[in-house]
Amino acid sequence: MSPPADRKVLVLALGNTDRGDDGVGAVVAAKLAGRLPPDVRLATRAGDMLALLEDWAGFDAVVCVDAADPQTAPGRVCRIDLASDELPRGLSAASSHAFGFAEAVALARALGRAPRDIIVYAIEGRCFEPGAPLTAEVAAAANDAAGQVIAEVGRFRAPARTTD
Amino acid sequence: MATRTIAVDLLARVEGEGALDLTISDGRVASAQLRIFEPPRFFEAFLRGRGYMETPDLVARICGICPIAYQMSAVQAIENAFGVTVGGQLRALRRLIYCGEWIESHALHVVMLHAPDFLGFPDAIRMAGQHGDRVRNALTLKKAGNELMRVLGGREIHPVNVRPGGFYRVPGRAELAPITESLKRARDIAVDLVRWVATFPFPEFERDYEFVALRHPTEYPITEGRLVSSRGIDINIADYESEFEERHVAHSTALHALIKRRGAYLVGPLARYALNFDRLPAPIQALTREAGLGAVCNNPFRSIVVRAIEIVYACEEALRLIVAYEPPASAAVPLAPRAAAGFGCTEAPRGICWHRYDFAADGSIGKARIVPPTSQNQPSIEADLAAMAATVLDQPDEVIRERCERSIRNYDPCISCSAHFFKLSVNRA
Repeated sequence: MSPPADRKVLVLALGNTDRGDDGVGAVVAAKLAGRLPPDVRLATRAGDMLALLEDWAGFDAVVCVDAADPQTAPGRVCRIDLASDELPRGLSAASSHAFGFAEAVALARALGRAPRDIIVYAIEGRCFEPGAPLTAEVAAAANDAAGQVIAEVGRFRAPARTTD
Repeated sequence: MATRTIAVDLLARVEGEGALDLTISDGRVASAQLRIFEPPRFFEAFLRGRGYMETPDLVARICGICPIAYQMSAVQAIENAFGVTVGGQLRALRRLIYCGEWIESHALHVVMLHAPDFLGFPDAIRMAGQHGDRVRNALTLKKAGNELMRVLGGREIHPVNVRPGGFYRVPGRAELAPITESLKRARDIAVDLVRWVATFPFPEFERDYEFVALRHPTEYPITEGRLVSSRGIDINIADYESEFEERHVAHSTALHALIKRRGAYLVGPLARYALNFDRLPAPIQALTREAGLGAVCNNPFRSIVVRAIEIVYACEEALRLIVAYEPPASAAVPLAPRAAAGFGCTEAPRGICWHRYDFAADGSIGKARIVPPTSQNQPSIEADLAAMAATVLDQPDEVIRERCERSIRNYDPCISCSAHFFKLSVNRA
């Protein structure tokens, strides 16, 4: 068996905690606190998505957690691997202030500053009103999302398999 | 009668969203309306009854790009009402954090939002493919500005350390020292940025603006001054309402500000520069000449050069303030509320941000009035659009659309501040 992969992993929770289901990223982050390996960094970010280029500098892999506009059912957790998949429309980190999450990823790639792996866990929301609490469906999904993120981090850090 | 309709549903690379309606009739521009349709947020209404100590943190939420402008105008108005002047190092720290906001806001606009217009790219992402170093440098500039905001304000967006009378906590000299190196690097990048943007191809287009800005006896204006114009206004900021008025127009949820009896005026970098060129340090004046600017610039497309110049100034000023910094004995001057009106006016990156509060004896707000820079520039933006469109009426719709969008971006409009949002349609009747 080959040695453990020496990969630096960042878990990044996105969203505005004052905008209803948009705050689910921060709730998932709270559930992850203390449950990730000590060398995995856990951070939250709201607002200026250009700052992501600094946040993930030096990391090999990033696992993002964010709310998304409803597509099928509130609370559904969708895994998106940006190596092969497109971001869904309505990912809540999209911003009226010129640079949202998708733009930050595209800019980072253009500048050669994007981590090799970016995995997004998008949780479909229902209500994004200012000051609203998380809806019950989305709050209930936070545990599941946290579990999926822990498993994702485990996969990134698993010993690399050999095929010989 | 020939009819042509051009529509752009969403204007890109502005802060916030809105729309433009251009009506062309019989080969002439009949009207150009900047339509701001985002619902108003009623900040002035919900400030009523709130205490003066809450005010800086509430008004900071008006904008994520320029929260310091709102905080600084608010604390100035509060202190004005209560008869207190904040000077010395506390004043210097306020100017320092404001420099941080200028640097990060201007860097974002100059390189990420505005430069693609001159180089033929749809956005900064595509531009990064050919001008990666310029974009990386812009991010370095923005980071330097953010660093000042974080160290002095507690965080980069909606800082929490500004209070009436001063700050909740002031930094030690050692906390500012590390910023010095990043600011020196930022200054060098900014000088290079001036030289780069000065080479851009600029449309031959000038307008006879009435510039309005603050003017201070010795400083390039950021945190205070008298309110002056290029056509003779020279008043205390408390007299703003005697010279200026706000009007509601049907196509905008943001009020239009006008000079009484004269109309549209311009605030922001071009106005600050034209009215305060003599307040710039000699080396920066020399840099403006190298960049091809005179003491006054009436071409709104060249505002990108003036913004770059102001980044250089903000870096130099921040470095000067840090060198001279001695931590004050107290983080804030004590305040005693009283029933009074207070006025504040500072230079946000986009222009003057004017506040008035009427306080009750317990320091609660009875009435608030906030005039953001973009709402003041709305009539001037519409006049630019009409004038610019008139020069390209024989061109295809795409050309008119492109020129109009660029005309709007010249202003770095913060539609979010003025009320919020943006779409463009051109009707040819």
